[in-house]
Amino acid sequence: MTTGERKSTTMRSRPRRLATWREQHAWCLAASMQRLAARPLGTALTVLVMGFALALPLAFWLVLGNLEHLAGTVGRTQAINVFMQTQARPEAVAALAGELRQRDDVAAVSIRTPAQGLSELASMQGFAKAVAALDYNPLPYVLVVEPRQHAPAAAVQALIAALRVLPGVDQVQDDGTWRQRLDALVDAGQRVAVVLALLLALAALLVVGNSVRQDIRGCAGEIAVLKLVGASHAFVRRPYLYAGLWYGLASGVVASVLVAIVEMALAGPLGRLAASYGGQLALGGLTWWQLLMAPLLAAFLGWLGARLVSARWLRRMA
Amino acid sequence: MRVASRYPRLHVPHLHRAVIRFDQVSKHYPSGQEALSQVSFEVAPGEMVFVTGHSGAGKSTLLKLLAAIEKPSRGRVSLDGQNLARVGPHAVPLLRRKLGMVFQDHRLLMDRSVFANVELPLVIAGMAADERARRVRAALEKVGLLATEGKSPEALSTGEQQRVGIARAIVGKPTVLLADEPTGNLDPHLATEVMGLFAAFQQVGTTILVASHDLALIKRMKKRVVVLDHGRMVDDVPAVEVA
Repeated sequence: MTTGERKSTTMRSRPRRLATWREQHAWCLAASMQRLAARPLGTALTVLVMGFALALPLAFWLVLGNLEHLAGTVGRTQAINVFMQTQARPEAVAALAGELRQRDDVAAVSIRTPAQGLSELASMQGFAKAVAALDYNPLPYVLVVEPRQHAPAAAVQALIAALRVLPGVDQVQDDGTWRQRLDALVDAGQRVAVVLALLLALAALLVVGNSVRQDIRGCAGEIAVLKLVGASHAFVRRPYLYAGLWYGLASGVVASVLVAIVEMALAGPLGRLAASYGGQLALGGLTWWQLLMAPLLAAFLGWLGARLVSARWLRRMA
Repeated sequence: MRVASRYPRLHVPHLHRAVIRFDQVSKHYPSGQEALSQVSFEVAPGEMVFVTGHSGAGKSTLLKLLAAIEKPSRGRVSLDGQNLARVGPHAVPLLRRKLGMVFQDHRLLMDRSVFANVELPLVIAGMAADERARRVRAALEKVGLLATEGKSPEALSTGEQQRVGIARAIVGKPTVLLADEPTGNLDPHLATEVMGLFAAFQQVGTTILVASHDLALIKRMKKRVVVLDHGRMVDDVPAVEVA
């Protein structure tokens, strides 16, 4: 055979192999769906158990995302308050604010005038009469300094120390400890979420694995027939891999729907909580991307569980 | 039927290329049971041979060796010139696709239609759907069951189920057809009908090996007969001498 003939044979056999592969996969795909449809209750139970198992880390992910967002927002609202001396001139305060804005460890600086401070005080319950009784404004200028986002605690402490020694500064107030605790809480939550996700992913693998194992045991006769008429190990296993994929995909959809329901149920209380922070907190749910990824990840888990179990059980039945 | 062997046990002179060849084949199970002992015979292309003997004589073991379900303990089993002892686990499915197998208990998938059962070997071979449909209908027509293609095998009689099994065995146009007690569950009339089908397949060049203990049926068919007794081949009667 010449090189040209060999090339031509390869060119012909490649589409043939692809067609064979497509025909076999189409049959296995249909066979897997028929098998799941043949026992709807068992399939539904597997999907629901796996769906609930996957919904937990997904919900935790949602809570954590919001907590992280909350920490960031609180970080901004808990900016460092720099109280100027009462005799500080507006021009000097503005100049100092400008200097601070040039610093790398400062994200933003805003000026709160004595008039604004008095107005805020007057709006608080029980203070209106006391403020009205004053014949002058005793409040100083305040510089609200926001540290750079995600700045380490040591850097924030260094900034506070630097602010304290600035000319014209009377007092520096910071709620850094509280913010550190919140950050630590979010970090711990992230770890818990990862551990929980791993454990529940393992649980999902076991659930799918057990279902596929039962499917294989229930189809021992069929598997024997398939092997006798020339089915390869891969062909026999393929419907079970597809079944695992369907279990995973369906349970991922269930998990996403459950989390969406939880989101809707919590939307009211969370909205009120957000409003209590003056509308600065934007509490949100999972994104469309995240909701799409959940079923895909679950489908992979289902396929993996089916692959692990089917390899072992079909080898045992050989 | 004669009892003495007509052929020497060793080194049979081959005037043709045998499709099936057993050369000094023995099979021992781990339990110590000797299922076959030094069995040697050949089957020519397009020949139909009955393997007979009492229950436990080794008929099924002989077929299992040909289908690579079992491996011989000693000796050599060849199919189409291929030494089956050298066939690796990955090549066994390819080997089985060359064979058609018919079983006493039909081994049909009861949750699938007749069509789907017969289609199975073609799906495994990766044949396109339209070609599969054409071949399945041709096979069902040969066994006279075209009208039942949409039915479940459970809705058919035992004889019809056996014919579905035969259709599945021949749909891939195998060069060799193996049948293990194919008429075991059938009444004499249906058994003759099934054997008539086998004879028709032989006419178109298929090599057929049938394990059966139904001597009356074997005599009626007038084909070559290999006789086993406690795992030993005790006779090999040519078709012309079967009476």
